[in-house]
Amino acid sequence: MTLQNCLILAFILFAIGTWGVLRRRHMVGMLISIEIMLNAANINFISFAYFKAADATAGALFSIFVIAVTACEMAIALAIVITMYRRHHSLDVNQLRDLHE
Amino acid sequence: MNNFLIPDILLLALPFVVIGSHFLFPKRHTVPFAVGCIGFLGVFVMLNLLVLGETQTFLSNWKIDSFGVFMREVLILAALLGIWFSKDYFEHDADGKEQLHQLPEFIAAISVATFGGVTVVSACDLLTLFLGLELATIPMYALAAWNKSDPGGSEAGTKYILMGSVATAFELFGFSYLYGFSGSMKLAEIATAVTQNGTSPLLWISVLFLICGIGFKLTLFPFHTWAPDVYEGAPTPVTAVLAVTSKAVAITFLVILVFGPFASIHTQLIPFLSILAAVTILAGNLGALKQSRLRRFMAYSSISQAGYILLAILGPEIVAKSAIVYYLVVYTFANYLAFFVFGIIGQHRTEGFDSLRGLSKENPTLAIALTIAAFSLAGIPPLAGFIGKFMLFESAAEAKTYGLIAFAVLNNVIALYYYIQLIKGAWVDPPDENLPRLEVNKRQKFAVVVLTIGVLFVGVVPFLSENIRNILAM
Repeated sequence: MTLQNCLILAFILFAIGTWGVLRRRHMVGMLISIEIMLNAANINFISFAYFKAADATAGALFSIFVIAVTACEMAIALAIVITMYRRHHSLDVNQLRDLHE
Repeated sequence: MNNFLIPDILLLALPFVVIGSHFLFPKRHTVPFAVGCIGFLGVFVMLNLLVLGETQTFLSNWKIDSFGVFMREVLILAALLGIWFSKDYFEHDADGKEQLHQLPEFIAAISVATFGGVTVVSACDLLTLFLGLELATIPMYALAAWNKSDPGGSEAGTKYILMGSVATAFELFGFSYLYGFSGSMKLAEIATAVTQNGTSPLLWISVLFLICGIGFKLTLFPFHTWAPDVYEGAPTPVTAVLAVTSKAVAITFLVILVFGPFASIHTQLIPFLSILAAVTILAGNLGALKQSRLRRFMAYSSISQAGYILLAILGPEIVAKSAIVYYLVVYTFANYLAFFVFGIIGQHRTEGFDSLRGLSKENPTLAIALTIAAFSLAGIPPLAGFIGKFMLFESAAEAKTYGLIAFAVLNNVIALYYYIQLIKGAWVDPPDENLPRLEVNKRQKFAVVVLTIGVLFVGVVPFLSENIRNILAM
């Protein structure tokens, strides 16, 4: 297990997340993809902290903060998703067509 | 006692005080609003009493310098105007939408977002910077979807939170590479690492990710597509807050990075930033040309304004910072003035260009205020917008990007065309007898008059911009 392996893993996860956000049409699927992207960044932080950094605790702490912040973000996102669902009775983003040019 | 921290602590306590006042006096609906206004005013006054000039730090990761104090003042002014503007939307329905509810929570969300901006400008390490940025954006997601009975609002909220979270992921990925590159969280130590090794691929990948992330929040060209939809779908007061506060936070973030850790690669960043600024101005202007709905129009207008503000970042630190602070003040005044006029018009009419017809006959004061706001946003002398844009161009000129400035000035002609559309609607187009009458209450009248005087006064009085620069140069 080297730093390079970890970075490649993180990058692949980030790419999967980005692909998921672009391809998924289901809102919860998109949120999960975003979560994968954020966790890819967490893996980066932890692997840099473990292998490289002079200040190793900072990297580990950062990922804990990221998890907390992401939880807040997802709470708000799910609240908005619920209001969306009450209105359209579906979570397909293709239905978001009321606002356009 | 570190008395320079008092305004920040008060601002942090304000959301809880506002919500608490609602619980203490549940029957009296004006109390939370009054508490919010007095709180913001109090913090603003205290910030003005601080001794400017020296950088003070708290616990090694919270610093207050003169730029920080200026940005705090801008943010608090914007928040104060924001809640002043939003009060009406909690009293009656407007623009065909039902009235909003939960004013105390609304004010609390705005003050938390403002505190997030304060955190960004005070940050000395990546963690504080990240937390500040999130603190400033997460309340905005909730604000955009505040009107639960409005389908447009929940659609705007969904689009905003999906786009915003992706932007956050990009930023975070950029931060992680920056941490890996320098091995430290402290912005000062990252700056040292960047000075020693400015060509490292890891650094430039991180810069790329960070520019992508910030591009979303600042609505720079390839990443601006969410803005018109969100600005149109969100309730009007939220649109005003988004256009000013969230943009100010995003530009502050960029300033903190470019003149902090990336100071030594600033010259290499200039080409990227110039291209982004140029295409953003063009995209915003071209988009605004064909709009018929006022809020969508303001969205494109604010996209092109973001491009203009980005021009200033090309210049050296002091000139750039003073230009940005001054322009943000001017932009706040002019933008809120326009929004107040739109708010009054939108109370009984739809928020479109057609509703402006006959405004000069029906209410000349409003027509004059709208004209001043539009001319200031377009940058016509002697209004404040002209001096502001002049300073932005001056800052870009220090970086010798003359071609870019010429492009931006030519683009201003396009901008003038669509801002004049507003004025044409108000003054030239024949009145429409079918439009409902306008109602202006005391609060709106006060705000319109004060902001009009503000835009005129700030432009005519030259010492303000000089003062900002002298204090920043200390």
